[in-house]
Amino acid sequence: MDAGNNRTGRIDFLAYGFIAIPVMAIVVFLFYPAALAMFGTLFHKRPDGGLAFDASSYIFFFTDPYSLANLMRTLWTTFVALVLIVAVNLPIALYMRFTRGWLASLIQGLALFPMFVPGIIICYALIRYLGPNGWLQSLLNAVGFTHYASPITTPWGPVIGLIWDGMPMTLLILISGLGTISDASIEAARDVGAGRLRILRSIILPQITHSILIVSALNFLGFFGQVLMPFMLGPTNPEMMGPFMLRTFVSVRDPLQAATQATITFLICSLAGLAYVRSLANRKEER
Amino acid sequence: MATHLRMDRRDFLRLSAAGAAFVAASGAQIGVSSAAEGTLDIFFNSDTNIIDFWTNVIKPGFEAANSGVTLNLVPGGGGSGVNALADRAMAAFQAKKDPQIDMLEATTPFYPAGSIEAGLWVNFETSGLSNQPKVNPVTVQSPFLLPYRGSQVVLMYNADQVKDVPATFPALVEWIKANPGKFTYARPDLGDSGACFIERALQEVTGQKPDLFQPENYTDAYANPMFEKLWPLLKEIQPALFNGGEYTSGNTASIQLLASGAISMTVAWSDMALQAMSQGVVPETTAVAQLQDLAFTGGFSGVVVPTVARNKDAAIKLADYIISADVQEKVVTDLGGFPSIGWDNLSKELQEKFAKVAPKSIPVFPGTWEPKLFEGWYRNVASNIKQ
Repeated sequence: MDAGNNRTGRIDFLAYGFIAIPVMAIVVFLFYPAALAMFGTLFHKRPDGGLAFDASSYIFFFTDPYSLANLMRTLWTTFVALVLIVAVNLPIALYMRFTRGWLASLIQGLALFPMFVPGIIICYALIRYLGPNGWLQSLLNAVGFTHYASPITTPWGPVIGLIWDGMPMTLLILISGLGTISDASIEAARDVGAGRLRILRSIILPQITHSILIVSALNFLGFFGQVLMPFMLGPTNPEMMGPFMLRTFVSVRDPLQAATQATITFLICSLAGLAYVRSLANRKEER
Repeated sequence: MATHLRMDRRDFLRLSAAGAAFVAASGAQIGVSSAAEGTLDIFFNSDTNIIDFWTNVIKPGFEAANSGVTLNLVPGGGGSGVNALADRAMAAFQAKKDPQIDMLEATTPFYPAGSIEAGLWVNFETSGLSNQPKVNPVTVQSPFLLPYRGSQVVLMYNADQVKDVPATFPALVEWIKANPGKFTYARPDLGDSGACFIERALQEVTGQKPDLFQPENYTDAYANPMFEKLWPLLKEIQPALFNGGEYTSGNTASIQLLASGAISMTVAWSDMALQAMSQGVVPETTAVAQLQDLAFTGGFSGVVVPTVARNKDAAIKLADYIISADVQEKVVTDLGGFPSIGWDNLSKELQEKFAKVAPKSIPVFPGTWEPKLFEGWYRNVASNIKQ
């Protein structure tokens, strides 16, 4: 008994040692500079060398219609993309959970394909395909449809790009969630005469709420801070927070305002992060 | 400053594409550069076409003439990446250590602030470059920056659809309004060609006097009345731009729109336009033109050398080599750029061939004006919010 305890103690120590390396790296290279930047948005150096509390950059952000319009556009893009990505991927995941065969494998391969294509390539490909005078428009013209309006440089451009980009991860998580549902429970429901919709609503959906929550939280984080898709595919204005921050920092050269925008972005994203962590914790308790 | 910003933004797409990864990437590259004797570590701010030019033209020529010297050409990761390298050079300078940087390309000696006064950069006017007297004085911004290639913004258009290319700015505005949806320019912070367009518009509304805009004379009080005249003009043409008022996300994106036939005319960098035309990525009928009343602004890219560089002498020798007539002729023929030395130093044949496009002076718009100008553009032109 004693020996066993000792051994676990040693293993724990070793385990903490292993964890310490990435944790230290995160603290030193991520938490510390991020905390420093956030602190700097609220406390400014006074000429006499002391620190003074000053929330003027936040007041500016929340009273500036331009900044607020950018924040609203970011929220709109994030939520629309989020709803659509679940709506698109859930049926595919269901299909792949309940079907075997070459077609399902093919669809799985296709759905995971975006994972292996870098974002910048996707952007240029989408511009070529969906853009003005692109392939899609040419194809539609060929069959006599001439009212095509390209989504590129409209708010729908980044939504399409984000859905493409977020698809593999979403699908993998949904499939793994569906994998935990036992065939027996579905067959039992079928035996007592439940229809397909009924099975979906009462058996499947309740069991994958966690997966949907996780997918939503992770995609929220990915979408909200996106830089590439919005400025490659989106309109000039309003901007999403990612390009807005970058432009404020690099072009306007206003590090204080950029850090303020980043802090606000962080606070909003941390809500999604919280939802994710809570969902994980709940799941553990249930087990 | 202007040149520096220019390159910044031209690399902006690539920079942002790589996102945070670029920091890690350039960090990794820094880690492996060994600052060996005889290996020159040169970091680039410019696009890959320029690094190709160095790889194919400058590196073989210089290494053949100087045995034992190797050029290590490293992409610097865009504007902020190169600024970080300049910061490192400054830190090494203060600590009297080897910065492991022998040359920075397409940047300026003005960053970090105070680095010139501290003595971080080599003064090319007093370091005995044999080709220095040939340098065209209009290209020189500072003795600590050696210009070696220039380019200028031009109108790039499809001659099939544009029969009478506008020769003045008012004529260009008229053309835009008469051909709705057929013209656009890049967002000023993402594509310098777009920046040059609004800067030329600013010069137009203030009476075509480029001298009004100096690197050190920007103040809000001085600039705002001029900006107030600029916004209405740009707002007025906005509905006649591509897609009812949409701007492209960069120099390449502008050329792509022209290539797809979605627009008939845009503004582009001369070197990128000439390259696109020689590569055949735009229709055969594509042509370039310059405004005749007052040319679009342009800029020269140069190199800086830290005084504490391990291979400083070899780096100065290399600086002398890149402004030699041999390399400068290649800048014209291979890069589609302008030479930084006087045209009379180049071959007669080249002089005659380029007599028409060779600008006597390239107007440069000061970079110090750009942050406020671009931010104002986003707020007053691109956005419909009433301030």
